[in-house]
Amino acid sequence: MRVSYRWLGDFVDLDGLTPQEAASLLTMSGSKVESLLVIDLSAIVVGKVLEQRPHPSSRDPLWIHQVDLGAETRQIIAGAPNARAGTLVPVALPGTVVPSGKQVRDAKIAGEEGRGMMCSAAELLLGEDHSGIMLLAEGKPGQSLGELFPLDAVLDIEVTPNRPDCLGHMGIGRELAAVSGRPMKRDFMPPFIEGEDPPAVDLIKIAIEEPDLCTRFVAAPVTGLRVGPSPAWVQVRLRLAGVRPINNVVDATAYGMLEYGKPTHAFDLRRLRGDELRVRRARDGESLLCLDGQTRRLSAAMLVVADGEGPVAIGGVIGGEASAVQEDTTDVLIESAGWNGVNIRGTSRALGLRTEASARHEKGLAPELALAGARRVTALVREWAGGTVHREWIDLYPRPQEPIRVHVTPEKIDALLGAHVPLTESRAILDRLGFQTRVQDGGDWDVMVPVFRLDVAIPEDVVEEVGRIYGVDRIPPTLPGRRHESWTPAPTSRPQETIRQVLAGAGFAEAVTPALVSSALLEKLGLAGRMRRLLNPMSEELDAMRTSLLPSLLQVARLNQNRGRPQVRLFELARVYLARSQDPSGLADEPLTVAALAHTGGTPAAGREGFLLLKAVTDRLAHALSLPAPAYERATDALFHPGRTAAILLDGAQVGLLGELHPSLGADFDLDGRVVAVQLDLGSLLGAAKPRQVRPLPRFPAVQRDLAVVLPEDQPTAAVQTAIREVAGDLLEQVRAFDEYRSPELGAGVKSLAFALTFRSPERTLTDSEVDQLMDQTRRRLESEFGAKSR
Amino acid sequence: MTEFENAVTEAVERIAKAAGEEDLERLRIEFLGRNSAISQRLSGLASEPKEKRAEIGKAGNQAKQRIGAALEARALELAGARMGKLAEVEAIDVTFPAPPLDRGHIHVLNQVRSEVETILERLGYQVEEGPEIETDWYCFEALNLPKGHASRDLQETFFLAEDESIVLRTHTSSVQIRAMERLRTPPIFVIAPGRVYRRDNLDATHLPYFMQVEGLAVDEGLTVGDLKGTLLYLVQSLFGPERRVRMRPTYFPYTEPSFEFDTLCGRCGGAGCRSCGNQGWLETGGCGMVHPNVLRNGGVDPEKYTGFAWGFGIERMALLKYDVEDLRLFYENDLRFNEQF
Repeated sequence: MRVSYRWLGDFVDLDGLTPQEAASLLTMSGSKVESLLVIDLSAIVVGKVLEQRPHPSSRDPLWIHQVDLGAETRQIIAGAPNARAGTLVPVALPGTVVPSGKQVRDAKIAGEEGRGMMCSAAELLLGEDHSGIMLLAEGKPGQSLGELFPLDAVLDIEVTPNRPDCLGHMGIGRELAAVSGRPMKRDFMPPFIEGEDPPAVDLIKIAIEEPDLCTRFVAAPVTGLRVGPSPAWVQVRLRLAGVRPINNVVDATAYGMLEYGKPTHAFDLRRLRGDELRVRRARDGESLLCLDGQTRRLSAAMLVVADGEGPVAIGGVIGGEASAVQEDTTDVLIESAGWNGVNIRGTSRALGLRTEASARHEKGLAPELALAGARRVTALVREWAGGTVHREWIDLYPRPQEPIRVHVTPEKIDALLGAHVPLTESRAILDRLGFQTRVQDGGDWDVMVPVFRLDVAIPEDVVEEVGRIYGVDRIPPTLPGRRHESWTPAPTSRPQETIRQVLAGAGFAEAVTPALVSSALLEKLGLAGRMRRLLNPMSEELDAMRTSLLPSLLQVARLNQNRGRPQVRLFELARVYLARSQDPSGLADEPLTVAALAHTGGTPAAGREGFLLLKAVTDRLAHALSLPAPAYERATDALFHPGRTAAILLDGAQVGLLGELHPSLGADFDLDGRVVAVQLDLGSLLGAAKPRQVRPLPRFPAVQRDLAVVLPEDQPTAAVQTAIREVAGDLLEQVRAFDEYRSPELGAGVKSLAFALTFRSPERTLTDSEVDQLMDQTRRRLESEFGAKSR
Repeated sequence: MTEFENAVTEAVERIAKAAGEEDLERLRIEFLGRNSAISQRLSGLASEPKEKRAEIGKAGNQAKQRIGAALEARALELAGARMGKLAEVEAIDVTFPAPPLDRGHIHVLNQVRSEVETILERLGYQVEEGPEIETDWYCFEALNLPKGHASRDLQETFFLAEDESIVLRTHTSSVQIRAMERLRTPPIFVIAPGRVYRRDNLDATHLPYFMQVEGLAVDEGLTVGDLKGTLLYLVQSLFGPERRVRMRPTYFPYTEPSFEFDTLCGRCGGAGCRSCGNQGWLETGGCGMVHPNVLRNGGVDPEKYTGFAWGFGIERMALLKYDVEDLRLFYENDLRFNEQF
């Protein structure tokens, strides 16, 4: 809402209140001033053009003027030709910044001095015309323009949707009055207008077919008027508020709306067909050529005002072209109606049309406003266009507005705000906002809400009114402190943070990527099985919820590769979204997942190294989260390398996958080299956590032995380790494979594995001979079970 | 005078002249080692008459002690000398740059989220989770946003069901009702961080997806002052004690009264600069006292309890903390950006 500071002065005394102060008061009481543009023309002076001649040598057509500024005469160059000798023009001298922001400087153009600038209306923010120099109707050379156009300012105010009463200067003026402690200069309801014969009902009949959607209809005819331009000051005000002046009748409806926030419409009475207007649902197939030149197809969900032959307006949204006020119009019908906000919003959305009228009506304006708007606009039409106002206006009011009363106690105000507001102050605040407070026996308040405030209905609303005007700044900050027998205990660990720290500590960079992805991509990767699709996506790139973190991380790896960072290590901890089989269009499963990825070189060895890196990371995660040691089993998955992938198991249950990604996947994402990834389901992981068991430190020394065996290629290391543990028994504290080795000397189809074994007894120092004996037994078992040869 | 006197004298003289610590070690072996003259003599005592053994043994041990003392004294001298020359002998070029440590990073958005969680946990709040694919009830209806409500237009919504009953949550306020239903009896102090979605075009200042943190406190007698103090504690903990907070009245359907809260601009301290659009304040988030209808929908008696709630964007907090101009950088994951945090 664009508000003129000076216009606010019609409603509240602005004495000693600068535009900046007004803006600050409004912002801090709930009408947020987004921008403030001060229009101060005191530095601009009136000049009288004495002489105008063409520039002799410039390539573009320019004009050289001698301008009388009272105390001196200056030469000023301009491109526009309209400042002829004898005209009065606004002149900005070098050094001045004109309101539009332009700085004026001395200039020399093709050998001719220019010492100032003649301004257009647009440059002075007095209009939109920037094609020529603004010609003044009055003024003396040298006189400050500030005397002709006093200081004004445009406040661009963000009005919250619950306050349509502030979509007009009166509403903002009332806010300013309340917060600055000044009285309102004007009553809400304009005075009754005496009318003349014939009565309005003889000129037109009105019928409402849908009283729930059109709650009131006020119609006031004005006959014998003359359409012409509205007064200059009106046009200036309309322009400041962002409305283009059209003619005195249309401008009166706009002006009334910009005061009261209530849109009205003027029909050309003689262009209405038949003698009755009906407010009814549009019929399928009906259409209307609207005021903006567009023809719109209507539907039965929309409400129209129709004359004897068809729609003449889309109710509360826009009028029809055929019945619009034109230059030859002499008789008009001022319509001011109450409309159902939800219905207006539906119509506006269906038509893709949001007008000044619909933007206000969709918020559900109080029907009481209809009469106020009609009175104000009719008075303005008569004032600016003349004509006769008729008696006995039509006022159909099928759904009268019920007064709102709120019961509130002063204690409630203090208790909710956390500050003591003196009774006199809170009552004065409510009074200035238009509320009537009646103190009942016992001190409770019966608060009558003003008719234009449909947003106030419960005690908390009244508390807000008092609080926001009293000043939130005056409420002392406190922290809650209450007595309770028990509190919900806070968890001491944050496993998600632990995971992030472990992965970051292992050299992985955390990515945060969008959960919205492309359904086509998921389909291509075979990940669309339980995918949830958006019904109204903004683009095909973001039309589904991801079912896996891997594609997102691959995209990040590609972006970094393309920007000169090959071989990144990444992770992400986030939800994936999986449709539930029993209710695929309801809520989804949203398991938290952690995925890590290492982009490595292209050799098989590099891939294996990456695999072991991620395995080490997984093991470390398991330890940090107090999980049992993970087991790894060969596994397959469509996205993973068929020979380099393992299922990760905790206590026998699979919690994730670890492996090199399938080479074709890397190719899909244009990644060089190989990519190894791990993905873990966080719920399964944390479900396996066990309290940490702390072992006492050993009291006897350990005996270390290495064991190297050659055995067939297809024997997994884990199986060999298991066998070693079985044979060596309780005295084996730890066994760890530390080398895997192949060579032509060993022969084809076999590999050499090396293990480090640690023996220890909790009760005594082991002797070499008993360890040797265990090692011999172990070797024999590996020979018999795996066909292993010791090296 | 014992037979060891000459050996001791020689040893003490040579030890005193020992040039370095290695030299000294050689002398220790020569005079006190297994093959030294004294040791040899003492190990050959068996051939001596019985009555002389004790005497020689005693003299030999005394000789060893005297040599040992000399060795120790010289060792101290030599060590002192070596320490005195450390600066010349062992100096390195301390200006030579260090090779980078191989390390990872936690994403800045999660750093900020984690800071917010930590700060509020100190005040007794707990983290509460809720689904992102959410029902219309929890996202809108229960929050006093019935169908057709004007405020729904402000939060353009993605739908996942034809009848629009399933949505991508537009705010973490959707967790409010779930938290009240789960915890049932006040005191309820929860924060709900998480991803939210709105149909905004992607540009430098808008994203169709972003992260919020919602805070909800429900208890007896909570006030606007409590809300204000909580926000002040949060903002000052995050950004520093000089960063004041102001609350401006506004409108949200789920709170009454409702406010937007701003943080004093850290760059200009309130004087107005480019960073804050000349306002002196930076818009930070929304807050208010929980609307009685919302409490009721969460199963909490609004006659007995009051509550306050607030919410803000984590990206916005990160912007306030670090001068980042383009929101898209947070989700692009160019590591040259991520690694700066």
